[in-house]
This record gives sequence, structure tokens and C-alpha cells, in this order.
Amino acid sequence: MNNEYKKSEEFQLTLEQIDMLKEMGNIGSGHAITALSNLLNYEIDVSLTTAEIIPFWRIVDLFEDPSIELFGIYSEIHLKSDLSIIQLFTKESIINLINFLNVDFKLSIEDLRTVKDLDELSLSIITEIGNILSGHYANALADLLSIKLVPNVPTVALDSLNAMLDEIVAKYSQISDYMVLIKTNLVIKDIKLNCVMCFIPSLEILKNLFKILNIKYDINL
Amino acid sequence: MNNIEPIDRVKEKTRDGDFNVPIGHYALSNSKNISLNHSPTISIYGLGSCIALVLFDKTNNVSAMSHILLPKAQPNKEIRFPHKYANLSVKLLMEELLNHGAVRDNIRALVVGGSKIFNFDSNLMGFDNTSSVKEELDSLKIQIIKEDTGGSKGRNVKFDTKNFSLSVKSTGEKEFKKIY
Repeated sequence: MNNEYKKSEEFQLTLEQIDMLKEMGNIGSGHAITALSNLLNYEIDVSLTTAEIIPFWRIVDLFEDPSIELFGIYSEIHLKSDLSIIQLFTKESIINLINFLNVDFKLSIEDLRTVKDLDELSLSIITEIGNILSGHYANALADLLSIKLVPNVPTVALDSLNAMLDEIVAKYSQISDYMVLIKTNLVIKDIKLNCVMCFIPSLEILKNLFKILNIKYDINL
Repeated sequence: MNNIEPIDRVKEKTRDGDFNVPIGHYALSNSKNISLNHSPTISIYGLGSCIALVLFDKTNNVSAMSHILLPKAQPNKEIRFPHKYANLSVKLLMEELLNHGAVRDNIRALVVGGSKIFNFDSNLMGFDNTSSVKEELDSLKIQIIKEDTGGSKGRNVKFDTKNFSLSVKSTGEKEFKKIY
């Protein structure tokens, strides 16, 4: 039994627990990716999942360039505590996606100034992509854990990552200075699609998840 | 004076000699720590629902900025980063100013942020943060001389500690605009 501890200042998760989180991320994102892949009829080229525990103010460090404008599609899952799923796409990726799925007219970068400027069809395409990804992610986890996980309808924002994460960080660091982030990067080269899927469980739900998965839960809150 | 460095005070400067304030932290500048004749700019990039609170005393040349995340701290909890919370940050930032040479009657406030980035009904974080900061400032009788809050876009904010000016750039805008 691997007893090494990954220390994050005062917060501790065992390597086994981190591996389990990564595995959950793989399973969740795996289902989401398959759904997306089937929708687009393209194979996913790269898919990489990481799991981190990080102090709340450093969550932006887990992303490449927190100041560039991204599309964020955000869903919450209400269980006893909360879980959040957020998907992040570059503007180019969203354009490629919409133009790929919509045969009537083609969008260009200038059309993507704000979410409010988006036409109804484009917005509904983006929302539906979010629905498919978060829905399949949640379903896979629900099956794994034998619990009910239903994400609500996603909301879409176009802003810098820093700004988008504030509301999420606020929610999850009300009672703790640490956040858990399970992140999957995926790339579809042929349609130049770049997406980051993030799954954020509250610490409360983490305890329950580990309990369900029969792993010693040793979290210092 | 405090000889132990608090963990939530930004001490590291950027290459340009400026301060960038992460969530739950604060930066302070006064005449004592101006190096090489450079008065640092204090900034926050990507303010969503968070608030950038600036308190400054022009006469005695003391300025500080905190990056606030939540409206109120939960009681009975050990708090390592009080500047996360509006109801603690306002008081503590004022005390920091006083500890570094400011005079109470001279202190003025600037408040930026508190947007609603994701538009769903139960999302009141930005609004609650703004209200809480303003309530605390009011209870301490600190005058807000400029406010840029609310809306649905993220903001970048810069405070110049040399001429005490404040500039804001919202997401989608090309340039910073001086608002104070």
C-alpha cells in the first residue's frame, strides 16, 4: 500500500487518492470525448487528464495563459454539496465547431465579440456542446459511484480565464483555502479544436467519493 | 512595526518593479519602499466577481490594494487569508495604512469589480461582494471617491502609487482608461 503523502502546505491527499481522482477524470472525460467524437465524426488526437489540489489563489497557474479571452461553458451539479463542470474553448475552436456543425452561414472572429452579440443558433450550438460534454461526464461518474448526478443547463461566458474562475473559486473556497481541480486537455487536430474540461468537486463531496470508492479518506479541512 | 512578514502580503515585484495581487492577498506601497525612484503600479488582471479595493492617503503617500473574493467570513473558522473576505479586508487594509504612516481622515477608497460573468439567477457573488465592501467602508466612514462595479465583463485594474491614478480595461476593450 502506497503511503507516500503529497504535501500541499497543510493540505494532504495521498498519492492513491490523487490517482483515483485522475482516474475519475479519465472516466468522465472519456465518455464526454466519445460523445463529442461521435457528434463530429472525428477522433480525438490528444487527451490528457491531471488532478491537483491547489491553494485557491493559485488555480490560475494551472492554465497556460489566464489573460486570453476564452469561451467558458459552466454547469453546476447539485448534490448535498456541489460539483462544477466547466469547459474552456479558444475563440478559434468555437468558430471551427460552429462552422463545422452549421451549414447555413459561416462565423468569423469579428462576430465573436460578446456572448450577447452571438446569434441564437450559434449560442444554442455552444450550449448544446456544453450540455453533451457535461452530461456525459456526469453520467459516467454517476454510474461509477452509483449516485445521481444531473448537471443543470450550462451558461456561456466569453472572458479571461481569471475573471471566469472568480465565481467558481468563491464558491469552493468559502470554507477552505484549497480546491481540487481535475482537468482534461483535448485536441482534435483536423478541425483545430482545443478544449479544456474541468471538474471541480467540493471537499465535502470528495470525502463521500473516497468513502464510496473505499479508500481511506484523510483530508485535513 | 510588524517584523514578521504576513503570508498574504505581496512582496515579489514583477520585472517592471510592480505588484500583481492574487486573490486573497494585498500589496502596500509607501515612501519607504520606493526603489530606484520607481513608484510601483499595483494591479489585478482578470477581476470577475472579485473586488479590487484601493485605500490611499495622498498626503502621507501610502497606498494599498486588496483582492477580495467573498462578502463575509464564516465565524469560528481559522482564517489564514482574511483579505479573501470583504468584511475583514476593509478593516485590515485600513489598519495597514495606519501602521505605515497614513492618517485616518485622509484615507480614501476606490472600488472596482463585482461583475456577473456567468449569467444564471442564483449568481449574486459580484453583487454581494460590492455591497459588502461598500457597507464596511461606510461603517468606517471612509469615502469612496470612485467606483467601477457591476456589469457582465471582467476587468483589469491598475493603480499608480506615484500619482494615485486608477485605470481600468474591461474585457473586449483595447486600451486602459483612466477613471480617476
